[in-house]
Amino acid sequence: MRLGIAGGVIVVLAVIAAIIGYTALFTVYQTRVALVVRLGNPVRVVTEPGLNFKIPLIDSVISIDKRILDLENPSQEVIASDQKRLVVDAFARYRIKDALRFYQSVGSIEGANSRLSTLMNAALRRVLGEATLTHVVRDDRAALMARVREQLDREAAAFGITVIDVRIRRADLPAENSQAVYDRMKSERKREATEFRAQGSQRGQEIKARADRDAIVIVAEAQSKGDQMRGEGEAERNRIFAEAFSKDPDFFAFWRSMQAYEQGLKRSDTRMVLKPDSDFFRYFADPNGKPREDGKK
Amino acid sequence: MPWSNQGGGPWGSGGSKGPWGSGPQSSGPTPPDLEELLRRSQDKLKSVLPGGNLGGRGVLLILLAAIFVWGLSGFFRVEPDEQGAVLRFGQYNRDAYPGLNYHLPYPIETVLTPKVTRVNRIDIGMRLIEDPRRPTPQIRDIPEESLMLTGDENIVDVDVSVFWLVKSGGVADYLFNIQNPEGTVKAVAESAMREVVGRSDIQPILTGARQNIETAVHDLMQKTLDGYQAGVQVTQVQLQKVDPPAQVIDSFREVQAARADLVRLQNEAETYANQKVPGARGDAAKILQDAEGYRSQTVAEATGQASRFTKVYEEYKKAPGVTRLRLYLETMERVFAGTDKIILDSGTSTQGGGNNAGVVPVLPLNEMVRKPGGSQ
Repeated sequence: MRLGIAGGVIVVLAVIAAIIGYTALFTVYQTRVALVVRLGNPVRVVTEPGLNFKIPLIDSVISIDKRILDLENPSQEVIASDQKRLVVDAFARYRIKDALRFYQSVGSIEGANSRLSTLMNAALRRVLGEATLTHVVRDDRAALMARVREQLDREAAAFGITVIDVRIRRADLPAENSQAVYDRMKSERKREATEFRAQGSQRGQEIKARADRDAIVIVAEAQSKGDQMRGEGEAERNRIFAEAFSKDPDFFAFWRSMQAYEQGLKRSDTRMVLKPDSDFFRYFADPNGKPREDGKK
Repeated sequence: MPWSNQGGGPWGSGGSKGPWGSGPQSSGPTPPDLEELLRRSQDKLKSVLPGGNLGGRGVLLILLAAIFVWGLSGFFRVEPDEQGAVLRFGQYNRDAYPGLNYHLPYPIETVLTPKVTRVNRIDIGMRLIEDPRRPTPQIRDIPEESLMLTGDENIVDVDVSVFWLVKSGGVADYLFNIQNPEGTVKAVAESAMREVVGRSDIQPILTGARQNIETAVHDLMQKTLDGYQAGVQVTQVQLQKVDPPAQVIDSFREVQAARADLVRLQNEAETYANQKVPGARGDAAKILQDAEGYRSQTVAEATGQASRFTKVYEEYKKAPGVTRLRLYLETMERVFAGTDKIILDSGTSTQGGGNNAGVVPVLPLNEMVRKPGGSQ
């Protein structure tokens, strides 16, 4: 019976000890920072994770995330310095650096997000409003993002927040401007296509014309060379004739004349009116055939 | 899909292991589990000791058994694709590797087991939709993600997939340093993609620069994520689709067609040229052959005629008078043989009889011409 009572007492004591321990101990997780508040007054900040003590019932603990936190900003229209409108969708990553200040100024992550969101919008408008659209999209995006981060970081320091990065997720033209871009793209492509076709027919004609020219030149050169060869042939003929015929020009004259008569006076289309006293008819009337004194050959 | 991270961060599988949700907990560290446990053990005690009659030894035994069971609850298993991080009173204490492991029982130690070898996939510009009725997942386009502005103020439609996993040695960073790793990877991917596309003109993006873009996005993402110490390794950036927007794609196709036309026209012209020039060469060859033939012919004829003359001349030299006369007569013979002849005696007054003195012969030349060869 005594043992039973002692056991009961042990159990009760253990339970009481557990309750006290439970209310006096608190865990700080790896990802968090704890703020110990004594009767509404923050007394200390626990940054090291692990087991910690507090005064039961009097102290309360507020635990705050110390990881890198998201800030997603809804897209908003920004007017660049060249009056072009851009729909910018940016996000930030931040970390709570000073838990006490954070708790006192914004209280919660939701509160911080809404405050930061406003500040980021303002910073974006300010920074991007000084740049042209080309700078935002093409040349200076990284530098502009760094400037937004700097400005936001400076302003967020008041909330105990350090801004790690601000990035432009999207920077696009508004829908109504997109249509204009599409129209321009279409017209540019059309121009390009026309240019290609024109280039094609130009090159085609060039090639054809060159071919025609080449053909004419080839034929003409051949013609010229051919004429030269013909001339050579004729020259050779003249040389051969001259060489042969100069042996006896008189006989050549006679012989050639004979040939010419024969060739020239063709049968059937020639009628001759002859006098019988020509040389040919020498023996016609006189068997002795004396040539006449006044007769021609 | 094995890589789609449904859980929303590494805490999804952890159950109610601690206040890792979102927002600070203002109510202090009161894990409900412990209270529950205490109450339950008290209940158990009451039920075991209804009248307080049981001996102290029994109570002790029950307590020991409870402590033993409690101690056993510290065993846990790490799957092959996981790595464990053991927390002692919330503080990161040590890693645990696949197999059976032990941590001091709750609430002293807890463990987190993120899947470190699983490759996660994030799609930008499209989503894969699993449809059990179809063998391949359907692709749904998300234009507000995929349409982006290029450096020359054109718009291009890009879909990209990013594959990532927990960096080896970066488990602690991955677990404790960043609130929303998956969302961060996605946001960084989109931002990097647009930054890289914004730096380039549309033409290289559409044609050759895929590899460059993938590399640039990969590097930029990795750099940014390392800047966050996110413990994330980007393994691959894969451009799925790079097209002009649907509204203008026809125009781009038209340009392709025009480019093809250019080549076609050029080829046609070259065909013409290839036909024309050899044709001309053929003509030229013919002209040259003709000329060559003419030359040879002329020379041959001349040589023939000359040698004929030479032969005749050589004979002639032996007996000039006779040969000359013979040649003359023979020629005349041949000439006269084939012609119509009218022989008129001109010397009427000096020769012949006087009976036809004073008669002038009439030659009807016209008539003779009109019927040629008739009188032969």
